[in-house]
Amino acid sequence: MVTRLVGLLCALVLVLAGLGSALAAELRIGITQFPSTLNPLIDSMLAKSYVLAMTRRPLTAYDQDWRLICMLCTELPTIENGLAVPEALADGKQGIAVTYQIHPGARWGDGKPVTSADVVFTWEVGRHPKTGVSDFEAFRRILSIEVIDDKTFTLHLDRITFDFAATGLEILPAHIERPIFEADPATYRNRTAFDTDPANPGLAFGPYKVVEMVSGSHIVLARNDTWWGAKPAFDKITVRVIENTAALEANLLSGAIDMIAGELGVTIDQALAFEKRHGGRYDITYKPGLIYEHLDLNLDNPILADKRVRKALILALDREALSQRLFAGRQPVADSSVSPLDWVHDPETPTYGFDPEAARALLDDAGWTRIENGIRHNAAGERLTLELMTTAGNRSRELVEQVLQSMWREVGIETRIRNEPARVFFGETVAKRKFTGAAMFAWLSSPESVPRTTLRSDQVPSAENAWSGQNYTGFRNPEMDDLIDRIEVELDRAKRKVLWARLQRLYVEELPVIPLYWRANAYVLPKWLSGLRPTGHQGTTTLWIEEWRDSR
Amino acid sequence: MSERPPYQLAATAELAEGPPRSLGALLWRRFLEHRGAVASLIVLVLLGLLALAAPLAEMALGLDATRVDLFSLKLPPSAAHPLGTDELGRDLLLRLLYGGQVSLSVGLAAALCAAVIGTAIGLLAGYYGGWLDGLLMRLTDGVIALPLLPLLIVLAAIDLTKLGLPEDWATSENVSLYRIVILISLVGWTTVARLVRGAALTLKAREFVRAAEALGASHARIMLVHILPNAVSPIIVATTLSVGNIILLESVLSFLGLGIQPPIPSWGNMLTGAQELIWDAPALALYPGLLIFATVIAFNFLGDGLQDALDPRAVK
Amino acid sequence: MLTYVAQRLIESALVLLIMSFVVYGLIGLMPGDPIDIMVSSDPNMTPQDAARLRALYGLDRPIVERYLNWLGAALQGDFGFSRLHARPVLEVLLPRLGNTVLLMGLSFLLAFALALPAGVYAALRPRGAGDTAINLFAFAGISLPPFWLAILLIILFAVVLGWLPAGGMAPGGAGLGVQVQYLVLPIATLTLATIGGILRFVRAATMEALRQDYVRTARAKGLSERQVVFGHVLRNAMIPVVTILALNFGALFSGALITETMFGYLGMGKAIYDAILGNDFNLALIGLLLATLTTLLANLAADLCYTWLDPRITYR
Repeated sequence: MVTRLVGLLCALVLVLAGLGSALAAELRIGITQFPSTLNPLIDSMLAKSYVLAMTRRPLTAYDQDWRLICMLCTELPTIENGLAVPEALADGKQGIAVTYQIHPGARWGDGKPVTSADVVFTWEVGRHPKTGVSDFEAFRRILSIEVIDDKTFTLHLDRITFDFAATGLEILPAHIERPIFEADPATYRNRTAFDTDPANPGLAFGPYKVVEMVSGSHIVLARNDTWWGAKPAFDKITVRVIENTAALEANLLSGAIDMIAGELGVTIDQALAFEKRHGGRYDITYKPGLIYEHLDLNLDNPILADKRVRKALILALDREALSQRLFAGRQPVADSSVSPLDWVHDPETPTYGFDPEAARALLDDAGWTRIENGIRHNAAGERLTLELMTTAGNRSRELVEQVLQSMWREVGIETRIRNEPARVFFGETVAKRKFTGAAMFAWLSSPESVPRTTLRSDQVPSAENAWSGQNYTGFRNPEMDDLIDRIEVELDRAKRKVLWARLQRLYVEELPVIPLYWRANAYVLPKWLSGLRPTGHQGTTTLWIEEWRDSR
Repeated sequence: MSERPPYQLAATAELAEGPPRSLGALLWRRFLEHRGAVASLIVLVLLGLLALAAPLAEMALGLDATRVDLFSLKLPPSAAHPLGTDELGRDLLLRLLYGGQVSLSVGLAAALCAAVIGTAIGLLAGYYGGWLDGLLMRLTDGVIALPLLPLLIVLAAIDLTKLGLPEDWATSENVSLYRIVILISLVGWTTVARLVRGAALTLKAREFVRAAEALGASHARIMLVHILPNAVSPIIVATTLSVGNIILLESVLSFLGLGIQPPIPSWGNMLTGAQELIWDAPALALYPGLLIFATVIAFNFLGDGLQDALDPRAVK
Repeated sequence: MLTYVAQRLIESALVLLIMSFVVYGLIGLMPGDPIDIMVSSDPNMTPQDAARLRALYGLDRPIVERYLNWLGAALQGDFGFSRLHARPVLEVLLPRLGNTVLLMGLSFLLAFALALPAGVYAALRPRGAGDTAINLFAFAGISLPPFWLAILLIILFAVVLGWLPAGGMAPGGAGLGVQVQYLVLPIATLTLATIGGILRFVRAATMEALRQDYVRTARAKGLSERQVVFGHVLRNAMIPVVTILALNFGALFSGALITETMFGYLGMGKAIYDAILGNDFNLALIGLLLATLTTLLANLAADLCYTWLDPRITYR
C-alpha cells in the first residue's frame, strides 16, 4: 500500500517536471471565447477571426498603421495602377472591375495551389440563398467573377465606393469543400470540413494549420510547411479557451498559458489590478481601439427629442474623470464616432467638456425648471426621468452606468437603470428600439467606416423593414444622409477628408448619441515575446503571427 | 382535549417532575438549550436590526449611500468611512447595510411565499387524497426533478411584457427583486408540500379530525383550524432552513449575471462585483462573503435548534 | 418487480414528454431569436436576408408547429444541430455528459464516503465535541457561496502554491496523472459543497434509527455496540438517506454548473447555460431533458435500493 502511494507520488512529480520541459518553442495563448465554427463564411465571431488569421489570410486587410495592404494578393488594386477600372453597368449605374493576383506561393496545406477556382467557389457558396451565410451582402455586391488565369481574377462590383479594395474576402478550398457543398447546399453549414475534419491540412494556407480541436476547450496549431512567408518562431501554438476572466488570470499566473490575447482577454480594470501586482513579470500593453462605447438616445422620446436636453446630458458628465479614475486613462474619452487614430478624424471638431452649470442653464431653458426632491419637472408637471439600459453582467458597463446616474442626478435628471442579459438586450430591446431612454453599448468598426447603417435616415429599424438597419436612435437628418452618400463614392482622399470633417461637426452638433470612451484591449504578454503589434481596429494581431519572436 | 397537538402529550410526560408551564415556555426552554441556535438567533436579529437601521446610519455618517465619488475609490477605513469605500467611492458600510436589507428580505419573502404555496398544495393533497393527491404529488416530483439552476436562467430571461404584465411594473428598477422572489417561490415549495402532505395524511385519520367532521365542519375549516396548526412545526423548520439557501442561491444567480441588478445592492451582487478586485481591494469581497456565510450558517443553526425544540422525539 | 420498473419507466417517459413541451415553451418565451441577434451584429443584413435565414432555420412557424416538428424528428432519433457548436446536439452533449458524470460521480462518492462515517460517529455521540465539530463543518460547507469557494481554492492551490492547474481540461492524450491533476480542484469544490448536506442527512437518519425499538431489543440481547450499529442501525438509516440523496440529484447538477464555469470544465451544466444564453435551442432543450432524465432515473434507482435495504418493502 505504502509503496504504491510512493509510486503514485513519484509519477506525479515526474508529470509535473514533464510539464516544464514541454514548453520549448510552444506558445500557449488564452482567450475567452470558443469559435462556434471555423468555416470563414459562417457566423462572424472574433474568436474565429483570431484563430483563422493564423491558418489563412484574407485577400486584403488594414495593417497596424491602418493602411490597406495586400495579404493574399500581390498588388493592391487602385485606379492609378490600372487594376481597378470603373465601368458602366447594364442598368446604367457605375460599377467597378477590380483585378487581383493571388500570391504565386500560396498553397493549401496539402500541397494544392490556391487558385482563382477557389475564389469562384467561395463566391458561389456565399451567394447561394440556402447556405445561411451571414454576410450575404458582401457577396451580392460581386456581380460576376472573371477568371483570367489560375492566379488572376477580376471582380465586377455593383457600385463604386472609395473602399472597393477593402474586401475581407476569405477563400474556401474548392477541392475539399465543393463536393460537400454540392451534395446539399442547405445543410452545408452543418457538414463543412472546417467542423467535421478541422485538422485537415488542406483547409489552411497560412503560417499554421489546425492539428487538434476540442470543442469548448482548446485548438492546437502546428507550423504549416506550405506557407510562403517568413517562418514563424513557434513550432506549436495552443489556443486555450477559459471563459471566466478570473480563471484566465489564474491560469496565466500558474503557467498553464503564456499570454492573454488582448482581443478576447481580461477587462481593463482587471488588467490594471493585475499590472499593480505582477507588472514586473509581464509586459502589459493597452491599445485603445475602434470599439466605441456610447449611449444611443431614443430620439422619439419627447424629452430626448429636444437638442438642449441632449447637450445638457453630455455637459453634466465628467467623462475625463470617469476615464481617468475608472480606467486609469487607458480608455480615452470619445468625442465623436470617428477615432482620433483614423486619418479622417478632424481635430477641429468641437468637443464637450464637463460643465454642470451650462447643463443646468440648458435644462432651465428647455422648460425643466421646477425642482422637487432634487428632480426637475416641467410646467406640465412631468418628471425629467430617463431609462438607462445596458447588458447585465458586464461589470465595466454597470459601473459606468452608476457613475452616469450619479452625475446626472447632480443636475436634476433622474435615471432608472434596467439591464438585461446580452441576448435580450441586443436581440430585442435595442434591435427593435424598445429602449425608451438611453442604451449603452459599443460599436465595433473598421478604419474609415462610413456610418451608413447607424446614422442614415432609411436605416431606422421598424416592423415595416423587418427591423433591419442600426439607426437605433431614430436619427433623421437630410444633411447627414447627403454626406454619407457623398463620402461613400468620393474616391479623392483630400475631398473625402473635407466631407468627413463636416460629418463629424454635424454629429457633435446634433448629438443623436452621447459618446463615452474608446474601449481598449489589454494584452498581457510574457517578457520573452516580442513583435506583437496591436492594430487598434478589427484586424487581429495574429494576422502577423510570423513576426512574433521568442527570446527565451 | 381531543384537539391536543401530538407533541403536547410527549411534552407533558416530560414535564412530570417540574412545575406545570405553558407550551410556549417549554419550547423556549428547549430551544435555549441549543446554544448554537441561540447565538444564531442573536446574530440574525442583530443583522436584521442593523440592516433596518441603514437610513439612520446614513444620517449619522452624513453620507449618501448611492452617491458615486470618482475621487475616493476603494479607500481604506477612515473616520468618515468606517469600512472604507467601494469601487465607485460609495461608503462600504452603508452599502453592506442596504445590501443586507435586500438580501434578507429576498430570503424571507421567497421562503414565506414558498411555504404558503407548499402548505396549500400539501394540505389539499394530504386531506383530499385520491386522484388530487396523485396529481399534486406528480407535479411535486416533476418540479423536484427539474434542474433548478438552468431553469432559473431561462425564467430570468423571459420577457415579462410577453406574459401580459403591465409595462410600468415590468420596467421598474425593482423588477429584478420581484423576479427573484417569484422564481424562487415557484420552485422552492416542494419540501414544505411533502412535509405538510405527510402530516395531513396522519392527522386526518385522528379522532379529533373525525370528530370535527362528524360535527359538520367544512373541509376548509378542518384543514385550516384542525390540521394546519398541528403541521406547523415542520413548516417552520423547513422555512427557516430555506431562508439561508435562498440567500445563497441569490449570490449564485448574481454570479451568473441573473441576480439582483445594480444599482440595488445585495450581498450577492456585491460579492460578484468584487470578485475581480480580490487582490486590489480584498475588503470589498471579504465583507459581503462573510456576511452571506454568517447569515446562511445562522439560519441553518436556527433551523436545527427549532427542530430540536419542536420535535418531541429529539434526543437530549 | 419487473412490472413495477416498467410502470415507473413509462411514468418517467411521460414526465419527460411534458417537460419537453414546458421547456420548449419556456425557451420560446425568451426574447430575441438567433436571427435577431445576427441582424443586430451584422450591419449589412437586409430584411430579405433576415426573412430568408428565419425560414431556413424554421423560425417563422408558430411555436406549437415547431414543437411538433421537433418532437417528430426527436422520436426518430434526430435531435437537431447545435447552433453554437455547429455539430449534432448529441455529438456535443454526450462527451460533456460523460465529463459531468465523472465530476459529479467522483465528488458524490467522495462526499458520501466521508460523510457516512462522520455522520454516524456524530449521531452516536450527540452533543459531544466530535459532534459539534462535525456539525460546524457540515454547516460551513453548505453555507459557503460555491463560486467563492472555487476562487479561494484556485488562489490557494493554483496561484499561491502552484500545485494544481487553475482550470480547464487536460490536454488530449495526457496521461492519467495529468488528468487527475485537472480534476482535483473541481472535485474538491463540488465535494465540499455537497458533503455538508449529506452529513446532516446521515446524522439525522442514524439518530432516528437509534431510537427504534429493534435497537433497544438488539442491545438488550447483549449484542456489542459494533454489531448493533453495523447490523441494524446503518441499514435502516440508509433508507431516508438514499431518498433524500436521489431527490437532491438535480441540485448536484446546479452545483456542477458553477464548478464547471469557474474551472472551465467542459460539462453539461456549462453547455446548457451557454446554450440558453446563446440561444441554441436544440442544445438547451436536449441538455435540460437529459438532466431531468438523469434525476428521474436516480429516483427510480433509489426506490429500487429500498427493496435491497429493507426487505419488508416489495413492489408490485
